[in-house]
Amino acid sequence: MEFGWADEDARHRDEILGFLDEVLPGDWEAISKHGPGSDQQAAFSRTFCGEMAARGWLTQHWPEAFGGRDASPWRHAVVGEEMWAIGEPRGAQYMNVNWIGPAIMHFGSDAQKAEHLPRISSGDVLWCQGFSEPEAGSDLAGLRTLAIRDGDDYVVNGTKIWTSYVDNADFIFLLVRTDPDSRRHKGVSVLLCPVDSPGVEVREIPSVVGARYFHEVFFSDARVPASCLLGPEGEGWNVVNYALQYERVGAARYARAARTLDRLAEIARERGLLSDPTVVERLAEARGVCEAARVLTYRVIDERAKGLPPSPHTQLARVAGTRSDTVVANLALDLLGAEAFEYGSYGDANFRLAMTAGVAVGATEVQLNLIASRFLGLPKL
Amino acid sequence: MDFELDTDQQAILDAVGVLLAQYAGPGRAIDLAAGDAYDFDLDAALADAGFTQVAATRGTGPLEAALVTEAVAAAGGMVSFGAAALVATGLGAGDLPGPIAISEARPPGPVRFASHARTLLVLDRKADEARVVALEPGTCAAVRSSFGYPMGRVPDALARSGDALGGGSAARLACWWRLALAAEATGTMAACLDVTTRYLSQRRQFGQAIGSFQAVQHRLAELAIQIEASKWLAREAAFQGAPAEGVATAASYALAAAAQVFAETHQLSGAIGFTREHDLHVFSMRLQTLRIEHGGVGAHRRALSAERWGRA
Repeated sequence: MEFGWADEDARHRDEILGFLDEVLPGDWEAISKHGPGSDQQAAFSRTFCGEMAARGWLTQHWPEAFGGRDASPWRHAVVGEEMWAIGEPRGAQYMNVNWIGPAIMHFGSDAQKAEHLPRISSGDVLWCQGFSEPEAGSDLAGLRTLAIRDGDDYVVNGTKIWTSYVDNADFIFLLVRTDPDSRRHKGVSVLLCPVDSPGVEVREIPSVVGARYFHEVFFSDARVPASCLLGPEGEGWNVVNYALQYERVGAARYARAARTLDRLAEIARERGLLSDPTVVERLAEARGVCEAARVLTYRVIDERAKGLPPSPHTQLARVAGTRSDTVVANLALDLLGAEAFEYGSYGDANFRLAMTAGVAVGATEVQLNLIASRFLGLPKL
Repeated sequence: MDFELDTDQQAILDAVGVLLAQYAGPGRAIDLAAGDAYDFDLDAALADAGFTQVAATRGTGPLEAALVTEAVAAAGGMVSFGAAALVATGLGAGDLPGPIAISEARPPGPVRFASHARTLLVLDRKADEARVVALEPGTCAAVRSSFGYPMGRVPDALARSGDALGGGSAARLACWWRLALAAEATGTMAACLDVTTRYLSQRRQFGQAIGSFQAVQHRLAELAIQIEASKWLAREAAFQGAPAEGVATAASYALAAAAQVFAETHQLSGAIGFTREHDLHVFSMRLQTLRIEHGGVGAHRRALSAERWGRA
């Protein structure tokens, strides 16, 4: 057991920070406050990810055989922390490199690998995730969207919901039921579905989180080529589980929260609030919550670096990460006061980006269920 | 970065485990507490086996000392191990006679282990120094306490005396003390959760094991997250040699968690948790001591803030 960074990873952090200084535009803060799903950030991500790809950094943690450099999960974590902290200039493409690409590597056909992996690693393709449905939220196994084989196509009917990034996406990582008589986890499959397939319609759901954040995606006799099936038909639940283990700690929320907190402390200093022990102690309390999420995430990265199977430490890290976002966002509102009421102000933008933390990518309560059963070994009801 | 024990660390913890199986455990702690006693046998066994000096031994360091401190706390060992293995060793104060107690220069109340201590470490913030005071056993009168450790009252004159450890020693003592508290709290909280989880897995009401109810499970899961995080923060700070920001982070986080661990484990255990016939109190009452010592969570948080963002 030891907690030192490898020299090469520490150096890479400096390289990444230098790169961000160099390529982020002067108005990056204005761009980033709309969130990774915004048009501005989606457009910028193609340029930015291209720059990262040109340096060999975008998918450096992938195997060499797929255009990566076999960089360790620690190296990838360094990149993730610095990207998320600055407002994720990779936009939705962080999902591509974190879990969509790895899922295609693991389950994809040679043709799928040849089609998708080079595009992902060159940074010019956008993906979104089609999991949740109106009747299948936390209980994802209740999904109903049907994909029935018809010749060389699947004919898809159903609705996906809460889908972020879909309005700018080229593909949707789509979870469907391919066996209409199946229940729960069986008979489910994944389609790598082009968003421009005929019969796919997108509607924005207006929300307080921000513009273009949530969408519904309607599939009405949408025809998707059977060659888009990822992995064996009916084995989609395994694909999703594999992918989600990557996704749950994929967003380094604690890094963003910690950076926001440093900024809040600076604001507090400028306003003479660092002489108020209540303010000082709340800043420190929030710092502890961010640091807790960081070490719990590192615990998971260590398992991944050693090639160990996913463990319940993932759930601990995931819940802690959402807490860091929430605690800091609340503190920002308290500290900034009424000035945060203005849409687009620092406190407002930060709060809106953080407010979905405990719900996005699976509700905290589901994670707590898993911790209770798998980590604590508590009996089932 | 490696979150698994290496073979040497595993061997150390295995050997400590053998000693703790013989000289610790909640039953022994309950018996010792009945007489406000100190576990001189366990103390001697840990010292004789070299664990008290593990931080100053070639090939091992503060991380190993923190791991052992955690293990001793989790076993309910009635010894002042963190003060010896982490604080005295970290200060480079030499091989001080134990038991060792640590006190503020103006202790606001009884001091843990003072009634049995042969060495008192004094943190004098005003004079900006740490001092070592040699004690005759019995100098500090024993004080009856429910809070899990033998306590003694340090006379004012004694807390103002002693040999100064030199420039910067107050800051260093503050740091190592925070680290010891974080490591002890981590082991103690883990024991609270373990006792409670086992009890709630067996105790049946409404025809079910209480621990099967989701309302209960979520509360225990929340504790597990905080205890795990406390553990890694303390170990990381130990590995780094007790840096001021790291130990203030570890201590403030762990001791805030301690308040919740106490409240939740007692609430969920029901009336049995308050009795001396059930193990929870051995660990839970100690959490309150650790939480309050060295200025408490507020002081640790102010220290963290000052280290990270400077003072006003």
